[in-house]
Amino acid sequence: MALLALAHFMYQMVGATIFQMLEKEAEDHNHFQLEKLHFLANCTCLDGLHMERFVQVIRDSSKVGLSLKGNQTMDSFWKFTSSAVFAATVVTTIGYGNMSPSTTAGQIFCVFFALFGIPLNMVVLNRVGKYMLAIERNACDFIQGKTNHRKLTRFMIHLLSYLSGTALFFVMPMVVFKQQEGWSYSQAIYYCFISLSTIGFGDYVADSNPDKYYPEWYSILMASWIFFGLAWLALVINHTGEILERLNTHLKHWWSPEEPSNAGPVDEVKEPPVDG
Amino acid sequence: MYRQCASLVERHRSELSFALLLSGYALYLILGAWVFSAVELPYEQRLREQLETARQKFLWDNACVSDERLEELLTRALHANNYGVSVLGNASENNWDFISSLFFTSTVLTTTGYGHTVPLSDGGKAFCVFYSLLGIPVTLLFLSALVQRIMVLVTRRPVAYLHLRWGVSKPKFAAVHAACLSVVAALLLFLLPAVVFCRLEPLWSYLESLYFCFISLTTIGLGDYVPGETHNTVPNSHRTLYKLAITLYLLLGLVCLLVVVETCCELPQLKSFRRRFYRENNAPESETRDQEEFSSTEHDQMTDHLTDQLTFSSVSAQAASLRQDNTPWQ
Repeated sequence: MALLALAHFMYQMVGATIFQMLEKEAEDHNHFQLEKLHFLANCTCLDGLHMERFVQVIRDSSKVGLSLKGNQTMDSFWKFTSSAVFAATVVTTIGYGNMSPSTTAGQIFCVFFALFGIPLNMVVLNRVGKYMLAIERNACDFIQGKTNHRKLTRFMIHLLSYLSGTALFFVMPMVVFKQQEGWSYSQAIYYCFISLSTIGFGDYVADSNPDKYYPEWYSILMASWIFFGLAWLALVINHTGEILERLNTHLKHWWSPEEPSNAGPVDEVKEPPVDG
Repeated sequence: MYRQCASLVERHRSELSFALLLSGYALYLILGAWVFSAVELPYEQRLREQLETARQKFLWDNACVSDERLEELLTRALHANNYGVSVLGNASENNWDFISSLFFTSTVLTTTGYGHTVPLSDGGKAFCVFYSLLGIPVTLLFLSALVQRIMVLVTRRPVAYLHLRWGVSKPKFAAVHAACLSVVAALLLFLLPAVVFCRLEPLWSYLESLYFCFISLTTIGLGDYVPGETHNTVPNSHRTLYKLAITLYLLLGLVCLLVVVETCCELPQLKSFRRRFYRENNAPESETRDQEEFSSTEHDQMTDHLTDQLTFSSVSAQAASLRQDNTPWQ
C-alpha cells in the first residue's frame, strides 16, 4: 500500500518534469507579447490602458466562447442542442469548459444538476457496460458450444472485442473528425482519448467551431459515441485490472507458496481454469 | 397460465427497469439542457451586444487601427488564450514551470482536466496520452485501495463497535453515521476551502469559490475558474506553496469525497432499494465460468457487490470498484 502511494507520487513527479521539459519551448508567450508591442507601435493613437481594457472584454467573451469574426450572425451558443451537449459533459464529468455557466443562477443549477446527474450517469453506464459484457459472454458461449478449445475461444473473443472497440470508438471517430472538423489525424486521436478518459481539456471540442457547418446527424453521433465509448472504456479498464490482479495473485503465490491463500471466492474459481 | 404470465413479466422486469432508467436519464439531460439554455441565453445576448459596442467604440476612438489589423490581433490573442497564454499585461510567470506542471499532471491523473494549460507541442500531447494511459488506472488502483482502508477506519469499525456496545440497530445507526459524515465532509471539503479561496482570489465571490470546489472535486473540471492563475493575488514567494496546497487539496478532497460516497453506498437501505431495481436475469450459469464472471455458488452475493457502483466520480474509477469488489479487502 505504501509502495503504491510512493509509486503514484514518483509517477507524478516524473510526469511533471517531463511536461515541463517538453512544453517550455513551445510556449508562445514571449512571441505574443512582441506581437502586441508591434501592434501598439504601429497604431500611435492607441494607448496601452485602453487596449488592456478592451482586451479584458474580449477575454470575458472568449470565456463564454463567442467568436469575434466581424459581423457574423451565428448560432447562439446556449441554444438547446449545445446546452444538451453541455449537460452531457457535466454529467459524464468530462467538463470541456469551452462553454460554462456565467450567471450565478446557472452555476448554482450546475452544482445541483451534477450532484444528481453524476450518480445517475454512473448507474446507466454501468448497466450498458453489463449488457455489452453479456453480449460478449453469449458470443463466447455460442462459439464454445461449437468448438472445443475453451481458453483459445475466450482469448480470441476478448481480443476481438478489444479490437472492435478500438476501431469503433477511436479509429472511426478519428476519420469522422478529420473530415468534419479539419483536424489532423493525431489531433483527432488526441481528442478522442482526452474525451473518453473524461479528462476533457477543452482545447479541442467537436461540434463547436462557429465557422464550420455541421450536418444534422453530427451532434447525435457525437453524443452516442461518448456514451457508448465511456461504457466500453470502463469495461476495458475492468478487464485489464482483472488481468493485473490475476498476475498479482500468481506472483504472490509464487513468492510465498506456504502462506494460506486468502479464501476469497476469487481463488476458488481460479483453480479450475488453471488446471483445465 | 398465470404462472407463465408472471414469469414472463419477471423475466422482463430488468429490461423494463433498464428502459425506465434510460428514459429517465434522457429526460434528465433534456431538463438540464432546457434550464441551462433558459438561464444562460439572455446573458449571452447581453454580452454579445456589449462586445459589439465595445468593438465599434474602439474602432471609432482609435481611427488609426483598421478593422483587419484588429481582427488579426484578436485572432492571435484568442488562440493564445485558449492555450493559457495570457493576453493581459506583462505577465511573466510561465505556465510550465515545475510546480505548474505538477498541478497539471495531478489534474490529468484525476481526470479533472481544467484546460487552463494544455500541452502545446506535439510531443507534449503524445506524452500526455501515454502518460495517462498508464497513469489513470494506477491512480484508480491507488485511490480505491486508499478509500477501502479509510472506510474500515471511519465507517465499518465504528458502526460495528457501537452496534455491539449500544445495541443500536445497525441499519439505523449506519444511516445516522452516513448523514453525519456527509455533513462533516460538506463542511471540510466545500464550505471551508471556499472561504479560503474567496479570500485569496481577488475576483471570486464566495459562491464562485464554492462552485469551483464542487466542480473540481467531482472531477468535472470545467476550467472557468482556476486558482492561482491571476498573477497578482499571492506574492511570488508564496506562489509555489499556494499551487502545492491546491494540488494537495484536490487529491485529498477527492479521497475524502470518495470515502463519503462509498459510505453512503454501503448503507443497507440503499442496497435493498437497488436490489429491487437491478434484478439480474438469472440465466443458468455454466460451471466453467471463468474468473472474471462470478462463481455460480456466489453469483447472487457478487451481483450485489457488482451493483454497488455509485462510488467514484469518474467512469473508469467505477470500473476499478467493479473489479475491486471481487477481492476481499487486502
